[in-house]
This record gives sequence, structure tokens and C-alpha cells, in this order.
Amino acid sequence: MAKVKVATVWLEGCSGCHMSFLDIDEAIIDLAKVVEFARSPITDIKEFVPVDVGIVEGSVGNTEEEEVLKELRAHCKILMAWGDCACFGGVCAMRSTFDKEEVLRRGYIETESTYKGKIPCPPGVPALLDQVKPANHVVKVDCYVPGCPPEPKAILYALNELLAGRIPVLPSDMMRFD
Amino acid sequence: MKEITLTINGKQVKGKEGDTVLDICQANGIDLPTLCHYKGLSDVGACRLCVVEIERERRPVPACTYPARDGLVIHTHNEKLEKYRRLILELLFTERNHLCAQCVASGDCELQSLAYEYQMDNARYPYSWPAFPVDPVNDYLVIDHNRCILCGRCIRTCDEIVGVHTLDFGYRGWKDMVIADLNQPLGKSSCISCGACFQVCPTGAIFSKSSAYKGRPEECQKVNSICPICGVGCQIEALVKDNRLVRIDSPDLTDNRGILCHKGRFAILDRKHERVNTALVRNSRGKLESRPLSEAINIAAKKLAELKARYGNNSIAGIASSQASNESLKAFKEFITGTIGSKLIDTLDGDIYRTIIQGINSYQDKAELDTEASLEEILKADCILVAGANPLESHPVVGAYITRAARQKRAKLIVIDPTQNSFAYHTTLWLKPKEGKEALALSVLTKATLDKGSKKGSAQAKKIASPLSNINVRQDSEQVGICADDLLEAAETLGKARHSIIIYGDGILQNKNPMLITSLLNLAVIVGNQSTGKPRIISLKPKGNSRGAWDMGVPNPSQSIMKNLTGNGVKALYLLLADDYVDASELPNLRKGMDFIVVQSSYLSSATSKANIVLPSPTWAEVGGKYSTLDGTVKSTSRLIKSPDGIKTDSEILREISKHIKK
Repeated sequence: MAKVKVATVWLEGCSGCHMSFLDIDEAIIDLAKVVEFARSPITDIKEFVPVDVGIVEGSVGNTEEEEVLKELRAHCKILMAWGDCACFGGVCAMRSTFDKEEVLRRGYIETESTYKGKIPCPPGVPALLDQVKPANHVVKVDCYVPGCPPEPKAILYALNELLAGRIPVLPSDMMRFD
Repeated sequence: MKEITLTINGKQVKGKEGDTVLDICQANGIDLPTLCHYKGLSDVGACRLCVVEIERERRPVPACTYPARDGLVIHTHNEKLEKYRRLILELLFTERNHLCAQCVASGDCELQSLAYEYQMDNARYPYSWPAFPVDPVNDYLVIDHNRCILCGRCIRTCDEIVGVHTLDFGYRGWKDMVIADLNQPLGKSSCISCGACFQVCPTGAIFSKSSAYKGRPEECQKVNSICPICGVGCQIEALVKDNRLVRIDSPDLTDNRGILCHKGRFAILDRKHERVNTALVRNSRGKLESRPLSEAINIAAKKLAELKARYGNNSIAGIASSQASNESLKAFKEFITGTIGSKLIDTLDGDIYRTIIQGINSYQDKAELDTEASLEEILKADCILVAGANPLESHPVVGAYITRAARQKRAKLIVIDPTQNSFAYHTTLWLKPKEGKEALALSVLTKATLDKGSKKGSAQAKKIASPLSNINVRQDSEQVGICADDLLEAAETLGKARHSIIIYGDGILQNKNPMLITSLLNLAVIVGNQSTGKPRIISLKPKGNSRGAWDMGVPNPSQSIMKNLTGNGVKALYLLLADDYVDASELPNLRKGMDFIVVQSSYLSSATSKANIVLPSPTWAEVGGKYSTLDGTVKSTSRLIKSPDGIKTDSEILREISKHIKK
């Protein structure tokens, strides 16, 4: 049987969800027998190829992240969101209550340790979106594993469900938002 | 009450007329999700999570506000309703900023638990990310409006249970938020910081500075006890983690003495004073240095025995704080009057005790402290006279009871106080006598009430009236600085009342004038109380266990020891402060020439700094004990946490010293 192809992306987040995934311990050996990772921060492969499952960690806060997520969606059959940022916006979305300009000013100019700071604006730096969005507000998402980060067992449960051909919905006792 | 029969989920269940559908569901073990419903509060149907389908109703209705009727056919759980409930949760999560990962309430949040239960792993609606303010001005509480779901529990608790009604909704629509008074910061409003709103808040919108991030309820041990701080005797449920008090809750807000105050709920979590952790003995250079407890006990016993032998039993005086438990006070009394054999025993508030006793004695020989009403009678009163007291400060739960009676029962509230009136919003009349004229003011009021009252002819009234015969209400009221019309109105209000109650406190007691107490008792007799026929009066005693100390006869009823420490051949003083932090002003003049002072205390204070020997006391939370409430019931506290290593209870220490002296 051909291996299931998986691509993961790490958008606006802390990589904690990927870490939590790597924390599934020895289960990763069995998983490696049936799963092949294409584009992912773990493999450091940058090109998108068509995959069975796309996984997104992090929320969408700038134009680049929006583009990457849309590309992932275009290359995968099933899209799974990992973590509070991808599911709800998470900690990254705390900036959404402020104006974009206010956030940049606070970060690059008014920070206590900054001397003569300025807001970087060379061409090619992706622009911030007005508000941080969870993945499902940009593309269609098929399943979710919330948590900050999700427990390794919740990630494993979701992956195993997918491998068994079902769309996972986390049972209540595996749900957590923190 | 008429019994009714309904069909819920195909099963016949019974209920009473007047029940809501939710009441009947809960009584029959049908679990409906709720957020705005809270036991003991009126229902408003704010959150809509308890929606049910009722046959013949066109749309789902909230069970909490739907009156149950005979023959209703109800469905509480089906695919459509569960879909609606999840939808409501998604709307709640997207309406404001519910970021669990950085919220103090995560893990102790009803909104979060329901989202878990309904497997809400995403929200389909656009987030509104509003920027609501955070109000951190209160000493103990923070309101973060960004986490508020507008369930209104805090508002209804503040109004219906506590009775103060500081909180209410302000603004409209998207901008709707909980405000204090007319949109003041909570810390500058009429809020009494009782913390009931914090206890009922289903999210992290109202949280306590003292409990934040100390531990989640599931990691804590729960211990039920009684708060002994002011003598109201409120029930508490303490959450303890790693021998640290995390949070104090009320086990049931609607129960008697269930609402708590800032002292019992918050202040005890932040220990501000430095603790006495070991015994301290003054060394040859005049400095206090720490020594093993047994050694300090030995030195104290030896010195006391020596003074007793040389100067006699009455060269040693003992003064206790009435904050100590009955057990400690009993051991103290045995120690001073038994082991030492001294007659010089008193409490720090002994003068106040003697004032009350003398006041009662000169009013009627047979009357004793049991003219005192229970605090719950305040809630039934239709007229409350508060004389020289600030209950919201000294006994906040009593203050809340008074406010609640005035607001909810429309009880007339008359305040007699030259300077302060903490019930400004609810007072019918505030009589402000000139300072020093309180006694005359009370006599004039008594006379005016007698003139108007129904009991004019009775023997008791005549007895009271005779010393007042030369009072002219109109003239004398001018003299005490109160408008005669106000005074007459007060007299009329008191005269008409059916269930009146008189509450006096610090302002009266600090005068140490027994006449004031007698006048208040006279007034109480004339006004009477038509439900019991007895005068109803409550004295707000200064310390948490004053009643216990007085009932046990620790202070001498006729002689003040504190005032007479000097010049009576007193060579040594034993001061039992227990966990009372005693301010310098409360202290007796510790005579410079006194040979020997032992202070037993939990905290370092101006008293311990004058001691020759300081012995460590545990705090009330570290030992269980009995305490008497203001109205005279004895309640037991439980041990909540362990005391620091090597600390013994007050009674153990006193008994050990006794043993050494008796050797």
C-alpha cells in the first residue's frame, strides 16, 4: 500500500503544535511506516506537491500566511487544523483588538528596549492583515485539534482516525483550549 | 402547592405549580446546559442554552423562564436543539475575546466546559474582537469586560443575594456591559468587595487578584469551615493547594451567613504582616533573637515563677485579644487565674465589655446579653436604627443585610451618627447629633418616641419616662444639633414599626459611656418588636471572638486591668494576641518599668517589639477552634493549612508553661 502523503505548514504560531506532534513518542515509528511527509517544517521541504492530508498550525495574520494556506488547501484532499491559533485565532489574535498601525508602532518603536526604531517596510515583507483569522475563516477546514498546544494523544487520535478513513472529531475529554 | 404532571422526553414526570421547566428537569435528573441560571437567583433567559422544544410552541423556548404547566410535552435533547446549543456557544465565543490560553479562569470556566462538552472545535462566525476596558481599580477584584458573556449572574447576585446592587447593565446592544453604579470604576463605586460576583461569574470576566494563577480547583483540596474574623460567623469553603490558601468561597451563597465579605474572602489570602516563626528571646544586648521554643518556654516559666514567688500572684497580669479562639482563651484564663493565681485578667476590648454590661445593668437588673437579636432578624425588619456604627466597614455582612432589608423590604433606615453614614443611598433619615451630644440625642429620641408610641401608659414606659420628664423635644433637639422635625419623624417611624431592630457599634462603644447603652435599650423597649415582644438590639463587638471571651468571663466585669497596669505592683504582663495584629493604639501602655513582658502572637507588631519573650502563635487557619458569633452561637472552624514547623497551639504553650511553673 502506498504511504499516505502529509504536508504541514507553520503559520502564525509558536511551533508548539509541531513539537507536541513530535511528542507522540514511539508511536511515531508506526506512523512513519504508513505516512510520508512532504512539505513540512520537519522535513524542511518548501515545495508543495499534491498530498492526501494537509495540516495547518498557526493563525493567518499576514498576506503570506494567507497565500500559503490557500496553496496548501489547493494541494490537499483533507485539511486539518492544529492548535488554538489555527482553530480560533489563539494568542496571536490578541492583537486583533488593536489597530494594525498601533501594533506595529508598539512593537517596533515604543518597545522599552528600542532606540530610534522604525517600522520595517522593504518590498517583499508581507503586510499584516487587519485582523488575525483562524484557518477556517480563510479556507475550508475539514477537522480540528484544538489545544495550546494540543495534547500529543489528541494529535495521534486525530491522525489515526484519518488513517482509518474517518474525519476526526475530538471527544470531549480530549478537548482543551489551553 | 398543586402537583402537575408533564411529559419530558417521553417520560412522565411530576412537579409543582410555579416551577419552571428547568426546575422540573433538574429535579428529575435531566441535565440541561445553563450559563445564566444560578441557584437562588431569579431567571432571565439570557444565555438561551437551556432551550427546549415544547409541543404546540412555535419555537424553542428557554426552560429556565418557561413556567411549567400540567400536560406539557417537552423535548430537551434532540439533534436540532444540540445544534442550536453549539451555535449559541460559537456566538458567545466570537462575540468577545475568549482566549482561553491566557485566561485566569481556564480550567475553571463554565463557558469553556460547555464548549468541551459540545465539542466546539471551531467557530464559524466572524470574530468581532471588541476592545472593552479592563477595570482593575478595586483592591481585590478585576473586571475584564472582554470575557463577559452578559449572563447577568453578577448583577442579580449583587442585587438579590448581597442586596447592594452596585452592578447593573450599562449601554445597549454591542456595547452592553456590566457597570458599577453610574459607570464608576468598581473600586470607586458603592461596591463592598464581598466577591460574590466573582464566585458566580461563569467565565474569567470577574476575577480575584488574590487567587489568580495560584491553582485550579481540581488541583486543590476543599475544606469547609467558618470565618472567625469579625464574629458574624460566615460559612466558608477554602481551596488549598500545597499548604497555601488559594481561594475562599461561600459553600452556598443563599444560605444563612453565606455571602462573605472582603475580609473573609480576600484579605486572609494576602498575609501582609510579618510572621513570628520561632520563639524570640531578648538577649543581654537587648535584642530579640530566635531560640528554640522549649528554651523560650523554660525562660518564661522560670521568670514568671520567680516574680510570682517574690512579689505575689497579683504582680502578674494577663491580657488577651478577643480574636483568640475559645480554646486559647480558656487555657489563658486557667493559666492566669489558676496557675499564676492572679486576679488581673482582661481582654483588649474589656473596657467595651464593661461599658455594655454596665449599660445593661443600669437599665434592668435581670436583662443580660441575650436581648441581642440574631443577625437574620435584620432581614425581616421593617425599621432599622443604626447608631454609631459603620457595619459595612467593621462587619460587612451585617452591612449587606441592612442594605438588603432597606432595598428589598423597603425597611426604614435611620442612622444616628455625628460623622459617618455608609448607607447614604438607602437612609430614610440621618440624624447627626453634635459630637458628645449622642446621649442627649438618644434621650430626646426616646422621649419623642414615648410621646408618640402606643405603649405610653405601660408600667415599663412610665419607668423609662420618669428620668426623661424634663426633656422638651423641640428645644433639646436644637441643642443636640438635630432638626426637631427630623427627630419627630424618626420617632414616628420607630413608633409605627412592627419589627424594629437597633444596631450599634464602634461609634457608641468607643465613648465608653454606659448611659448610651442604657438609652438604646430604653428605646428598644419602647419601640419593641411586635413579633417577639422583646427589644431587639445588636451590638457590633470589636473583635472576632469578643462574644466568646465575654461569655467565658475572661475580662473582669467591674475592673479594668488595662487602665491600671501602672502603679499597682504589676511586674509582669502576659499578652496573648494569637493571630490578632494589634496596632499600637490598641495596646495598653506597656509600662517602661515593667520587669517582664511575654507576648504570644502570630505576627510581629509594636507589641512584640516591647516583649522580653515572644512566643509564636498559629493563625486560626492553622488550628481548628471554637468561636462565638456576635449573636452568641458557638461555631467550630476547621484546620485549613499546616502551621510552620515547630509552632504549637496557644493552649499547648500555655499548658507547658504551667507545667514548668507548677514544678
